Amino acid sequence: MLPDQLRSKLREMIAGAESPREKAIDVMYAIQELQGWMNDEAMVEAAQLLAMSPLELEELATFYDYIYRSPVGKFVIKVCDSTVCWLEGQLRLTDYISSRLGIGLGQTSADGLFTLLPVCCIGYCDRAPAMVINKRVYGNLTPEKIDRILAQLAQKADFSGSE
Amino acid sequence: MPRLIIDEREIEVPEGTKVIDAAEMLGIVIPRFCYHEALGSVGACRMCAVKFIQGPFKGVQMSCMIEAQDGMVVSTTDQEAVEFRKRVIELLMKNHPLDCPVCDEGGQCLLQDETISGGHAMRRFPGPKRTYRDQYLGPFIKHEMNRCIHCYRCSRFYQEFAGYRDLGPMQIGDRLYFGRFSDGCLESPFSGNLVDICPTGVYTDKTARFKLRRWDLQRAPGLCNQCSLGCNTVANAHYRGVMRMEARFNRDVNGYFLCDAGRFGFSYANGDPGLWRRPLFPKIAGEVAGAADALSAARKALDDIAAKNGPGAVAVVGSQRNSLETQSMMNLVCETRGWLGPVFFFDPAMRLKTLSAVHELDGEIAVSMKQIENADFILVVGADPLNEAPMSAMAIRQAARKKAPVVTIDPRPVSLPCDSQHFAVLPKDIESYLGALILKAMGKDAASLGSESENFRAYLGSQLENFNPPESLDQCARLLAASSKPVIICGTDVTMETTPAFAADCVRLLNLCEKQAGLFNLLPGAGSFGAGLLSRTEVPTFADLVEYIENGRVRGLVFAESDPFHCYPDRARLESALSKLDFFLALDYFPSETARRASVFYPASTIFETGATFLNQEGRAQFASPVHCGGEPIRPGEHPPRVYSGLVPGGDHLPAWKALASIAGMEETCPDIAPEKFVPPSIPGFEALGYPVDGQRPALAKSGFKTQWGLNTFDKSQAPLTFELLMVEWIFGTSEFSAWSDSLAPAVLPPLMSISAKDAVRLGLADKDKVSVELAGGELEIVVSVSDRTAESVLIVPRHNGLEWQKSHDFRVFVSSEKIRKI
Amino acid sequence: MAFEYPQVLFKNRKPDRAATLEEYRQSGGYEALQKFIGGAVSPGEVIKIVTESGMLGRGGAGFPTGVKWASVPGSGAFPRYLVANADEMEPGTFKDRVLMHADPHCIIEGMTLAAYSFSASKAFLFVRPSYESGAVILERELENARQAGFLGKNILGTDFSFDIVVHRSGGRYICGEASALLNAIMGKRPNPVKPPPYATEKGLWEKPTVVNNVETLANVSHILRNGPQWFKALSATPQGAGTKLYGISGKVARPGAVELPIGTRLSEIIDVHCEGLAKGSTFKACLPGGASTRFMTADHYDIPMDFEDLKKIGNRLGTAAIMVFDQNTCLVGATLNLLEFFARESCGWCTPCREGLPYMRELLRRIEYGEGKEEYIPNLRMLCKQVWNSYCALAPGAAEPVISLLDFFEDEVRQHISEKGCPFHA
Ligand SMILES: Cc1cc2nc3c(=O)[nH]c(=O)nc-3n(C[C@H](O)[C@H](O)[C@H](O)COP(=O)(O)O)c2cc1C
Ligand code: SF4
Ligand code: FES
Repeated sequence: MLPDQLRSKLREMIAGAESPREKAIDVMYAIQELQGWMNDEAMVEAAQLLAMSPLELEELATFYDYIYRSPVGKFVIKVCDSTVCWLEGQLRLTDYISSRLGIGLGQTSADGLFTLLPVCCIGYCDRAPAMVINKRVYGNLTPEKIDRILAQLAQKADFSGSE
Repeated sequence: MPRLIIDEREIEVPEGTKVIDAAEMLGIVIPRFCYHEALGSVGACRMCAVKFIQGPFKGVQMSCMIEAQDGMVVSTTDQEAVEFRKRVIELLMKNHPLDCPVCDEGGQCLLQDETISGGHAMRRFPGPKRTYRDQYLGPFIKHEMNRCIHCYRCSRFYQEFAGYRDLGPMQIGDRLYFGRFSDGCLESPFSGNLVDICPTGVYTDKTARFKLRRWDLQRAPGLCNQCSLGCNTVANAHYRGVMRMEARFNRDVNGYFLCDAGRFGFSYANGDPGLWRRPLFPKIAGEVAGAADALSAARKALDDIAAKNGPGAVAVVGSQRNSLETQSMMNLVCETRGWLGPVFFFDPAMRLKTLSAVHELDGEIAVSMKQIENADFILVVGADPLNEAPMSAMAIRQAARKKAPVVTIDPRPVSLPCDSQHFAVLPKDIESYLGALILKAMGKDAASLGSESENFRAYLGSQLENFNPPESLDQCARLLAASSKPVIICGTDVTMETTPAFAADCVRLLNLCEKQAGLFNLLPGAGSFGAGLLSRTEVPTFADLVEYIENGRVRGLVFAESDPFHCYPDRARLESALSKLDFFLALDYFPSETARRASVFYPASTIFETGATFLNQEGRAQFASPVHCGGEPIRPGEHPPRVYSGLVPGGDHLPAWKALASIAGMEETCPDIAPEKFVPPSIPGFEALGYPVDGQRPALAKSGFKTQWGLNTFDKSQAPLTFELLMVEWIFGTSEFSAWSDSLAPAVLPPLMSISAKDAVRLGLADKDKVSVELAGGELEIVVSVSDRTAESVLIVPRHNGLEWQKSHDFRVFVSSEKIRKI
Repeated sequence: MAFEYPQVLFKNRKPDRAATLEEYRQSGGYEALQKFIGGAVSPGEVIKIVTESGMLGRGGAGFPTGVKWASVPGSGAFPRYLVANADEMEPGTFKDRVLMHADPHCIIEGMTLAAYSFSASKAFLFVRPSYESGAVILERELENARQAGFLGKNILGTDFSFDIVVHRSGGRYICGEASALLNAIMGKRPNPVKPPPYATEKGLWEKPTVVNNVETLANVSHILRNGPQWFKALSATPQGAGTKLYGISGKVARPGAVELPIGTRLSEIIDVHCEGLAKGSTFKACLPGGASTRFMTADHYDIPMDFEDLKKIGNRLGTAAIMVFDQNTCLVGATLNLLEFFARESCGWCTPCREGLPYMRELLRRIEYGEGKEEYIPNLRMLCKQVWNSYCALAPGAAEPVISLLDFFEDEVRQHISEKGCPFHA
């Protein structure tokens, strides 16, 4: 199911580790990069590469915040809902994004582009309120800034990478 | 040894004892959920909090996490500790559904007990309860996650203790979920232990679901009689049916656990309408008859034969299922009446192997399962523990968890729930590998160890001169050399006749090299040790008996808990032999073909109804108490039969040995018999002990080196492209218990013939191909399973109840390649 | 003026990019490496100097760094591992992020020297997902360090070999806890594990392992280059040692991370280095060291911000992440927010945390949303006390803001209950 190229890349990655399981998160990230989330088939294949049972991988996949076991949009918007962002108006901001995209927390927009999720403190408290979209962080958010970001993203065919 | 004070009482405990266990030694049971002696402490549930008043720890701490130390003063009743424990219970009950009225755990639930004893009765928490979706976990275990209190016992047992990887914790925080990746049967053949180990009703016994309450059950300490290990059980009965089985703690044997075959394989004993197969009524010539009539008819027929043809024309046949009582009574009857037998073995080779396994074992080298757990090197020769004696695999795993290397030498693709180094070799080569390993581990220049051992060593050396084992064996030898408590586990199923004795001598040799080596034999059945011990050398095997019948020497037979249709490899010959007999009697609880065809059938009681003594494969005498009176089951809403009838109504079933005494006219010899009256004092050690106390091993005389070397050992010949057909056991699907216990049916996998990858290439076969193997008795059709852990030149076939393996026509069979055809 | 103090960790900090290897070297970087590893100074000497410097771990617990390294048994097994903890998921904390973005080589050199001190051959730099940018920078600079011979096989031509890999987390607060972190790296469920055995004896794959915060490690090269006395002298208080990265957020005019002598007074930090409170704000309280410390009121506005002084008032320096709340902040709401975090991030291992934190959250929610009852207060107090007996330090940390809310702002809590709602929402 996984493309051969990715599979051999993953094999190489695992071979370099002290023990295969060490790469569990990296393997799942690489698969998510390609297809957004970890479906059951991907779990089974990844587990096999990692010399784990599917259950053992599931133990990890369901533990972590950034591994998705349900379909997500191309852009996963995670709005920080911890203290400083809360102090700086995160609730209003979330409502704003929610109404802009027409989705509630945990939902994906009809065009499959955006999923909206809460996230705990992302370590950008000095730029609160902040959010992270596919591992890229945006701080000092205002409604105008959010409009710009969403518009930009909607245009991008492909997105990955970091700040 | 540290001395400490708990609740104002002083106690001295062994170094390393946890405070929770120290308290228990004083009779103070500190509440706990996550702690379990077998699983160790992890400090997760926080239920075992006590107050540490003096000593190196202070304040409220977990008694499962702290080792007892000198000078500690501990209070379990301190207000703060009590309050804390009360809070823990409140927290655990926060999400509990309180569905005790519909929960099978009700009445035997640790959570119920701790909630009540902890004093939590009123719900304070104002929020809603969490709920989960349950999973399908297979035919044995029901999953009800809402009841979970997240003590992690299940996953720790399942993964860490037992070594299976398909059940575990998922999610995080209070969404924590224990289950599988997806719905499906649990892969572990030890899954039933989840029922025992879960402190609440998350995992309940599906086979017993909604049938009973703990307080409605008759419970008695029992034994599992499905393999030679003799694991201890608690049998639970209700309305004259066995409802469920639990593990009974025995430190030396099975610890806290049981395998699924043992736990769920009891339904053969039941009259439950859904499961009912067991013949409950005596029959004469196929017609239901009264018990007394059946017994006297049998007695008369056998007396007639003896009178006409001499007592030697009557033979008594038992099996590996017989209890020590039955075996002893068979012996007594044959001795007294001059009947032939008793015959305990069908296969002459198995008879030899069992006899030597039993007689070569002595108190010096015999080890228990507990000792396997503590071994630092494990060598499995000619044994497939998981299939032949499942709980022994569990013991091996415990040693492996403590870093003991595990080496297996066997033609089968032996797999264990732990890492092991496997040598796939032919049965005849097992001794060479074993011998080479021992020799290498001893080192060339080991000092002289005495003449007997020198002889043995010299013999090994000369035999192995031209034997070039793979290099990986050297590595194993180094590990063996470094060990101090190695254990050899030796099987009897696929090994050569000489192997068990050879293994015993290897253990002795190791012991002379300043090791504390031990031997652990696996025997074919629960009664095997007794059969080996009580077998007189002059008695024939069943294979001999068939000839005697054919030539008319034997004309009458008694089958006591014995079914040649299951055990004898040539069905056609068996049928014609039986038809030549004037008369045969079957005493059994299985609805076997033998029982069906018998001239007279008498329904012998099971272990559950009359109890029984067994010697397990290490010679440990253990007694199973009866748990219910037997007879016709009472169905809900019904009463016991009130109308007089000559049929067996309530508890009139006799065990095979009493029925045997009756037909032999020997009731008087043993009036309402206590076994000590007839278990022969010839069993060494029995006279000293009197009747063996439960759990004690008869001290067998020390045997010393006594191998008759060179019987089959080191046979180098091997015809090319000829395969030995090895018939083997599977955990589910090959035993008689499996055949007659519907409860096990869902766990039985279809039969597969295992061949090595190289042979597959040579034969042009691939995994999952269906083949026909031409045997003396016809074509055997079976699906192939290719494994690179199977030895070359063998075809490994289970004695599967759904497979006509009896077409093999012999116990040892060779097949040439042209007889194997892909279809 | 904000930066009148010596800058050590932040001396190469730029507004828009990380310092390069060259820039780091120009500021004296890798001199300690040359001197100690290149000069084959004994590892014991390294430990001695770091111990003498009085360096306390910057990860939150303030454990003496040299002592930790020295506890790796001399005769212990090999290989040995170092783990740099850049998980930084304690709410309010972001100083490690700024450090990684400012001067990656000072982390790399510090790690290499630390590894040398107890003969580790490999290190894992554990980074949370939202710090992907930091992970990318570090991976790039690790390669540069390797090229320059400061990392990898035979460092500086000596027979000391050591390498660092970046390990990406799947994202969970508990991964920052040292023993859970080791499980996370090994691909196991990141539940904490109680010693014994200690990680310094049996850590990653049962081999000796040291876990340090990245800020702790970043200090090492500076200590070794300039000596323990220099390091001690950096402190604003006699008992402290070194500088400290403070991360200030919330209702201040200029939130951000600043490097100051450890023990700088809170008043100075806020009034001078953050240019005072935000417009229109007056100081109501702060959390001085991240989410798992106690609310501190204006009574202690002048307190020296170091381990000892905060301990004296029953508080903790923690991660030195100062979250400032003003007169318009509902502290019940703030505490509820913290509990939402802790309850969500509880690893689920032990009962008091897994069930107790959601319990506290439920009571706080009800208080905040007008369904509170008087009896919740003693219940909360008791819970705070009891979750202290959880398996790791997460739940006790979670209890800190709650119990201090009740200690200092009980009136505000009662007002919520009596007025059946949040007075700040009205
Ligand atoms: C719940 C919890 C989370 C923690 N998170 C972090 C963290 O993100 N970063 C960190 O450096 N230390 C964290 N710690 C502290 C670590 O356990 C450990 O003490 C620290 O990394 C040791 O480094 P140091 O000695 O250099 O301070 C956390 C502790 C707990 C209990
Ligand atoms: S306190 Fe317990 S449940 Fe909470 S994070 Fe620590 S170990 Fe996990
Ligand atoms: S029994 Fe001690 S914490 Fe669970």
